[in-house]
Amino acid sequence: MQIVIVGVGGQGILFSSKVLGEIALRRGEKVIGSEVHGMSQRGGSVISHFKSGDHFGPLVQSGDADVLLAFDTDEAIGNVSFLRSGGTLIVNCDDPARFETGTMGEYLRDKDIKVLSVDGYGILREKMGGRFLFLNVMILGALVASDSSGISMEDMASAVMDLSPERFRDDNIKALKLGFKR
Amino acid sequence: MSERRILLGNEAIARGVVESGCAVATAYPGTPSSEILPAIAAYSDEMGTNTQVEWGANEKVALEMAIGACYAGKRSCAVMKQVGLNVAADPFMSVAHQKLDGGLLVVVSDDPGCHASQDDQDSRSYASAAKIPCFDPSDAREAKAMVADAFDLADRYGIMAMLRPTVRVDHCRQDVEIIENVVSQRDAVFDRKPAGKRIVMPAVIHGFLDDHSARFEAIRGEFGAMDRYNFEVPSEEPANLGVIACGISYSVVRDILNRLGRKDVSILKIGTPVPLPVNLVEDFVDRHDRVLVLEETQPVVEGQIPNRTAVMGRWNGWVPKTGELVPEVVESVLLRALGVKEDLSDREVFNKIEEELSPERRRPRLCPGCSHRPAYFSIRKVFPDAVVASDIGCYGLAIAQNAVDTNICMGGSVTAASGIYLAFKADGKGTDRPIFATLGDSTFFHSGMTGLATAVYNRHAFVLVILDNRITAMTGGQDHPGTGDKMRSGEEGVSVSIEEAVKGCGVKWLSVLDPYDIEKNKKTIEKAWEHASSNGEPAVIVFRHPCITMLKVKPEYRPVKVDPSVCIGCGICIRDFNCPGLVWDQATGKAMVDDRYCVNCGVCVAVCPKGAIVPEGGDR
Ligand code: SF4
Ligand code: SF4
Repeated sequence: MQIVIVGVGGQGILFSSKVLGEIALRRGEKVIGSEVHGMSQRGGSVISHFKSGDHFGPLVQSGDADVLLAFDTDEAIGNVSFLRSGGTLIVNCDDPARFETGTMGEYLRDKDIKVLSVDGYGILREKMGGRFLFLNVMILGALVASDSSGISMEDMASAVMDLSPERFRDDNIKALKLGFKR
Repeated sequence: MSERRILLGNEAIARGVVESGCAVATAYPGTPSSEILPAIAAYSDEMGTNTQVEWGANEKVALEMAIGACYAGKRSCAVMKQVGLNVAADPFMSVAHQKLDGGLLVVVSDDPGCHASQDDQDSRSYASAAKIPCFDPSDAREAKAMVADAFDLADRYGIMAMLRPTVRVDHCRQDVEIIENVVSQRDAVFDRKPAGKRIVMPAVIHGFLDDHSARFEAIRGEFGAMDRYNFEVPSEEPANLGVIACGISYSVVRDILNRLGRKDVSILKIGTPVPLPVNLVEDFVDRHDRVLVLEETQPVVEGQIPNRTAVMGRWNGWVPKTGELVPEVVESVLLRALGVKEDLSDREVFNKIEEELSPERRRPRLCPGCSHRPAYFSIRKVFPDAVVASDIGCYGLAIAQNAVDTNICMGGSVTAASGIYLAFKADGKGTDRPIFATLGDSTFFHSGMTGLATAVYNRHAFVLVILDNRITAMTGGQDHPGTGDKMRSGEEGVSVSIEEAVKGCGVKWLSVLDPYDIEKNKKTIEKAWEHASSNGEPAVIVFRHPCITMLKVKPEYRPVKVDPSVCIGCGICIRDFNCPGLVWDQATGKAMVDDRYCVNCGVCVAVCPKGAIVPEGGDR
């Protein structure tokens, strides 16, 4: 499994890759991935690579990702080249048309890429009082719903529980469920 | 008992350091190395060792502390990033020649591709210049194993060894085996005999040189036998190409060969580039018609290969001469070496997508609510024409609000301001133009103080602005002499006062301000420059406000909104203040607050010349 996670600094991208790693480790799989530190965390583009199974290097190559998790619409557009044919794009986006029309829509259909858009900010504004820091876990909920990772809700919830700081546990589980149902 | 855990490369290195029985570990933070020392502290706590874990005010200080511990017979280690090694280069070169009593490990993290650095330098070249052995890990697991071997080698030969991970090793996350055992260590002794052993004087050093060289050659021999780091992965079919791969490039090229399904390429993996086990390499080169060398960043291994007629690498331009060897680059070089044409058909589609949807590429900038932003905004407001020298740290990001003019290295803002002042002075118009130097609290202790003392001594007129956010923020929030906090649980430090240090350097005019208070601070900024220019000496302002991302107490809730009936769309708040919480509303041509990023600090109320940004009131 190869997953690329993109977004901007401060969206909790590293936490999501930690959760994915924990799940893979519990399944007894080998894990390697790459994180971003420093400059790009100051509001700039952030990209995290995640690979489980038999791999050597930590970076996912363009055209290899099974899943692209995009916490930000613009970052999804800029990094769609990571996806393989038949892969899945999960994107935080309030305007799904951007991935349905034009050259983008054509490309995604050509490559048989499944798209799942979640209006993350909208849902969080409505259901969680605008606490946008739960976006990351919500996207993980959507990942489970997409059926593209082979991760069950049970495994996801228990990994999120175990890695969350105590005071965020309940809200994280709530966000996870919101992402699952959308 | 061993256990498998997912560790960051830096955590794996730290674990190796503690398992190796290292007694004293020091560092100055710098991406990509910053997580290593805190992790050493955490593992020491977890494993109950007596490891002394300390931040040095800079890398030279850190390395010299580690060297001292070695003089007393202990294993010790100093950690830094590649540019930090420049700061520590002085003790690094000297100690390389000495015969040490304990094993000394220097961990230097390189940043090929300059992700968070001002240059692309290759620390293996330093190892080569100092004639010390260098280990070049290809992933987190190997990095941890190499720490143990490097300590062992350093101990046996009484030398300094280098572990040189690159950013992708430091920041990879991988499942790694850990053990609970700690290598037991001898007690600290300072053996005064033979006299002069730890003295760097020409007469003494002469006696070291041959011995040092002999040790280097002996280690070359040992490296030749280290087949866990230097080994061949033979091709399954007759080889059309040989690849010599070092560090992370080895991991990358193996994935690519699997991906392409090529079985006609054999690999020689080199994990110990300095001193190069030349025999192994020569034999590999002899057996292949063509050999491609993949290494980051400079041709360190390639340059040591005696016969390079069949070798393709960075030296002869086969591999791009600069930058990171990411999978896309390696694949393209590899295919070219194999004579295969690359398929570029998708590239046009992506260009078209970019054109149609024009996604915003976000550059790093100061965080919403960051206290540096109003500090710079006030300086520029009072003196739009001021020359503002900045430094390495978050505050350098104020370039996005057009507030920063220069940036050299840690501590370089103070000295650059001195130089700029002298340049104007040389023209006979000493204090026409306001000159400001800005640097952070950690940077002040790193190497700002020496520049300040020099400026006081020589009577340089400028305003030094110390942006004290109570932490080393850029690298993730490490402590420093100013914070006084220490890493190991139960240890207490002492906070060194910036004000006292400034006064101690002889500064007569000093003011401490809260940067959030833009209106109030303008006058003081004016006064500071007035004092500096009329008295011909540096004045100092300390802007003090804790880093917004590391707040220990909840900040005051002061939400704002933009009143569209007052906003004239001048864009000053967006351009000159540049908070991610303020965005442009395309529809109305006016500014608005973006609730996704705004942290309700309320500072921007003072920014709008029309008073269109107003407090919103209310509570959360
Ligand atoms: S809010 Fe004020 S500074 Fe910002 S664009 Fe409107 S008038 Fe200009
Ligand atoms: S209140 Fe103003 S300065 Fe503070 S974060 Fe929000 S937009 Fe930025």
